[in-house]
Amino acid sequence: MALFLNIFIGGLLIGGIYSLVSMGLSLQYGVARVFNIAHGEFMMFGAFVTYWLQSLGVNPLIPTIVIAPLFFVVGFILYRTVFTGIRVRSPNPGVFESNGMLAAFGLYFIVQNIAVLIWGSTPYAFAYLNTSFGIGPSDFRVNRLVAAAFAVGIGLIFYLFLTSTRSGKAIRAAAQDSATAGLMGVDINFVLALCFGFGAAMAGIAGTLICICYPISTTMGLQYTVIATVIITLGGLGSIPGSFIGGLIIGIVYTAVNYWQPGLAVAACYVIFIILLLVRPKGIMGR
Amino acid sequence: MLKVDKLSAGYGNIQILWDVSLQVNKGEIVALIGGNGAGKSTLVRSITGLLGAYSGNIEFLDKKISGLEPYKIAELGLSHIPEGRRIFTEMSVRENLEMGAYPKNSWKNRKKTLSSVYEMFPRLKERERQLARTFSGGEQQMLAMGRGLMSLPKLCIIDEPSNGLAPKVVMEIFEIIKNMRAQGITILLIEQNVKQTLEISDRAYVLENGRIVMEGDCATCLASAHIKKAYLGL
Repeated sequence: MALFLNIFIGGLLIGGIYSLVSMGLSLQYGVARVFNIAHGEFMMFGAFVTYWLQSLGVNPLIPTIVIAPLFFVVGFILYRTVFTGIRVRSPNPGVFESNGMLAAFGLYFIVQNIAVLIWGSTPYAFAYLNTSFGIGPSDFRVNRLVAAAFAVGIGLIFYLFLTSTRSGKAIRAAAQDSATAGLMGVDINFVLALCFGFGAAMAGIAGTLICICYPISTTMGLQYTVIATVIITLGGLGSIPGSFIGGLIIGIVYTAVNYWQPGLAVAACYVIFIILLLVRPKGIMGR
Repeated sequence: MLKVDKLSAGYGNIQILWDVSLQVNKGEIVALIGGNGAGKSTLVRSITGLLGAYSGNIEFLDKKISGLEPYKIAELGLSHIPEGRRIFTEMSVRENLEMGAYPKNSWKNRKKTLSSVYEMFPRLKERERQLARTFSGGEQQMLAMGRGLMSLPKLCIIDEPSNGLAPKVVMEIFEIIKNMRAQGITILLIEQNVKQTLEISDRAYVLENGRIVMEGDCATCLASAHIKKAYLGL
């Protein structure tokens, strides 16, 4: 019973953060059609900005107020310059997707090298709300509960944004059929850049949440990009609720395998990924 | 209202349209007919900005629109009800209609427009919360037409509305098109259903192999031996 609770509740708690990272990647890949290999690097950068600010005595949740708009603007400008440029020059969507991914690969190295230059490659950690609370026979850390609640809150706010605002509806329409959305009067290049910006902002906030729970290092990004890729495939590309549910499922799987054999946790996610590609490439919420 | 002047267009090295000229005047229903592969869709895609032209000029309300992005052309009041409906299947009926009112000017009036569209299409109101993908082909066409009206357009391009629909539904669609004109909307109608189209239109253009081969008022077209033979099977 204790083991089950440890895995189930612990998995849901980490899954909340996975959901947030994945919603971001789903917007970038599912809607803006850029498979952003550097997604996890944005998250890593967010984590280090948080670490730096808390070392100056700031409460570690406060930096999200700066990180979210800053990362949004960086993502937006990046899409308007680099990716829109590639999109306009590509003869068809397939070429755009492959060239976009190659550009994102470059971005991955740039962000990572800058981070290593500033912070080196040793792990950093600090204690925040490091007390525990019990559910039945199991104990969990308060910081993880706070991080998961924060991630779920942002997911819900974003979902409301998508379903009840003019821009949100434009994003959903563009995700389904961008040419037709353009015919309806949606400025597609602008909306896709919005999605990329929102994706970067979510990665940045997820970085903050990772940082208050776990040790961080400048090389941790790629692992999260991989996990997020599995999750958005599981949830259905471009589906925000799918990313959310997929994040929780993978959180539980990761925690279970990690308990049994830590070295195999990411590998287990990848096995799920390959099986999905063979059995149901559309994902659970896919169309 | 719409003026296409010596338009040539195509995909890469494959030229589809050769010096196509066409004009739609305010208040008219103009038919564009032609068989599969004649270049009707390429022409429509060029007008709505989805495809760049090789040469030629397109004007809408005396403003040059060739080279503009689709959303800017939509903002000017040109609505495109696309071939194959292209409704947003994962959005509700109401949300689909709201997307039609996306341009800033029409967004302000969307509630008012929505109730008049619901008056025209009562079935859409009954099912406004339903996901659009649950709709039948005919219902999807109604939704696409309602969506096209939500922007309060000056000109509506209706692309193959009767495609794949039962004869009874096709009749309804043509009634709606007449109704739209009665409301003051100018219409460019692209159809393969030649007889019915010519009966409700004022003028027609016939497109074959990427060239306009005939133009004139519908009575003349209906009487022409070529039209009778090639399109009406008489």
